[in-house]
Amino acid sequence: MSEQDDRLARCFASVFPALTPEEIRAASAESVTAWDSLASVTLVAVIQQEFSVEIDVLDLPELTSFEALRTYLSPSRDARPGRGVRFNP
Amino acid sequence: MNLLDALELLNRPIPEPASEQGIFLECGFTPLHLKTFLAAQLRLCFPKDRIEIKTGLYGDLAGNLERVQPSSRSVVCVVVEWADLDPRLGIRGLGGWRSTDVPGIVESARRQSERLTHLMKQLMDSTPICVSTPTLPLPPIFTTQGGQAHHHECQLREIVASLATSLSADRRVRLLNLQRLDELSPLGRRFDAKAEITSGFPYTLEHASTLAEMLAALIQDMPPKKGLITDLDDTLWAGILGEIGVEGIAWDMAGHAQMHGVYQQFLASLASAGVLLAAASRNDPALVEQALGRSDLLLSRDNLFPREVHRGPKSESVEHILDTWNIGPEDVIFIDDSPMEVAEVHAVFPQMECVVFPKGDDQAIWNLLRRLRDCLGKVSVSPEDEIRQRSIRAASTMKSILPQRGRGADDFLRTVEATITFSLGTDASDDRALELINKTNQFNLNGKRFSHSDWLGLLQDPAAFLLTASYEDKFGPLGKIAVVMGKMEGRKLHVNSWVLSCRAFSRRIEHQCLKYLFEKFDPEEMVFDYEATPRNGPLQDFFAELLGGPPSPSVRKAVFDAKAPALFHRLVEVANVRAG
Repeated sequence: MSEQDDRLARCFASVFPALTPEEIRAASAESVTAWDSLASVTLVAVIQQEFSVEIDVLDLPELTSFEALRTYLSPSRDARPGRGVRFNP
Repeated sequence: MNLLDALELLNRPIPEPASEQGIFLECGFTPLHLKTFLAAQLRLCFPKDRIEIKTGLYGDLAGNLERVQPSSRSVVCVVVEWADLDPRLGIRGLGGWRSTDVPGIVESARRQSERLTHLMKQLMDSTPICVSTPTLPLPPIFTTQGGQAHHHECQLREIVASLATSLSADRRVRLLNLQRLDELSPLGRRFDAKAEITSGFPYTLEHASTLAEMLAALIQDMPPKKGLITDLDDTLWAGILGEIGVEGIAWDMAGHAQMHGVYQQFLASLASAGVLLAAASRNDPALVEQALGRSDLLLSRDNLFPREVHRGPKSESVEHILDTWNIGPEDVIFIDDSPMEVAEVHAVFPQMECVVFPKGDDQAIWNLLRRLRDCLGKVSVSPEDEIRQRSIRAASTMKSILPQRGRGADDFLRTVEATITFSLGTDASDDRALELINKTNQFNLNGKRFSHSDWLGLLQDPAAFLLTASYEDKFGPLGKIAVVMGKMEGRKLHVNSWVLSCRAFSRRIEHQCLKYLFEKFDPEEMVFDYEATPRNGPLQDFFAELLGGPPSPSVRKAVFDAKAPALFHRLVEVANVRAG
């Protein structure tokens, strides 16, 4: 587990406190009942602030799992799905 | 606080048993992260409370205010933004920004502002209300370039200023200070257009966090500290009195000491608002009295009481001052230009806020004054505030006379020409009564504190009563110093709260309060909601002396009559109106 994965897991735990660490890593909008629209907005806001990034609104429909967000935030730009993350200065 | 910290804080369990508290967060936008930040800040303010934040509907602030039904222990928090005055002042509606549209926007904002003011004033009767007026920048709807204010923009600001002025005239409203918000949250970093469009939440996270912190402080409504102890040399004035003499010390521009004059002026302002001031100085007492007699001094010599001037340790002076004031170190600020003196006092009184006066640094002194206002500020000045210093002086005089006379207390109390003015009813608008209950520690039946809405709820009970007592004797008035609150049920009189100001000890006012209640209500017994606390020793002593121990839990009139000492007060009764 990288430091970045740990930070992302912490973001997930703050929004979905009932999930275990294992459940967090497998979490998706389908598998987590608490993952509603409010949770989505909160999760994205927490991640944006924690990682100092701005996530494109058009990418949001694809970012519906821990794994998708992990890949999206990955330092390797080619690995990211969607339009790409913009890192704030 | 960032959002992650806020969420993690909220995920921590609340220690049981927790009290319930309800906050109505009323706004016209999606409360989203403001609600999260506010909940987190309130968790910090009220760590033992389970706080539920209720919100209303999007885009309908006025309707939300109409629908809110505050209950006991609730506070209404209203966050107004420009779009609540007219949706065209936001970016989610596309109602038109043509120059010909703007006068209509102004007029509609004026009408809506009047409606909101009316609705908030209605709510004030039943609950405390905290209000934030628009914090976001106005949209670029005016024809002028950004650097030039347009008449219509000024009109909109006037409308909001009028709303704020109207609300702030009522002490039941806690209005957020936009000047302080401007300092903490730069205007250009408040609006988040993307969040506004995607989720109806108009704030950046940073602004939401700052606004929530300020709103939580308004909701918490921390009681101010009660007193300030100041050094004299290089603090109240510039210069060392013992070296340069009475005429050498300065507090004006000519003496290159203007900020010391500003400090004096500030202390005079505090004194006029009932803050206790005292001096602690290693100095020659005679010289100090001469210096304080200078006609150009900006505060009265009498504002400083007591004045502890000697060569001994400052902590001894502070101890004597606290004893005279009869308040705890946590309620006092100590100021001295010497870091060593400050450290010495802080070592003896770790609960006391001890501050080094930043002599020679005008900006730092300015900042200190602002900090002091934060610690000592109050919404309004009561009659008791105006006479507090005088009554402490009177109490001190009486305390010093009592043992010197060498006669029985009866003989002495017979001569002090004491008058107690009782007011019996259910007047919930009596702010002083609630203030006394919430800040009195020593003679306090149980240490229970009440929110304004708790207070309103308790006094709306048809069986409730509220007794207040004001006291005056030949040494001067003490103002309103005792409160008894409870209810009469059958032949039992239940006392839920009972406090007596420490300034009024040793006058048998507490006995007279019980005697008066026995005579007025003629109960078979008085039942006390008594609880020993770490600080209500004087109350425990009272019951021990009267009953040989705590009330268990009631007192019958025959027992009271047999044990009560002789009382010499002249009694006056005044009308007390029932809460509406």
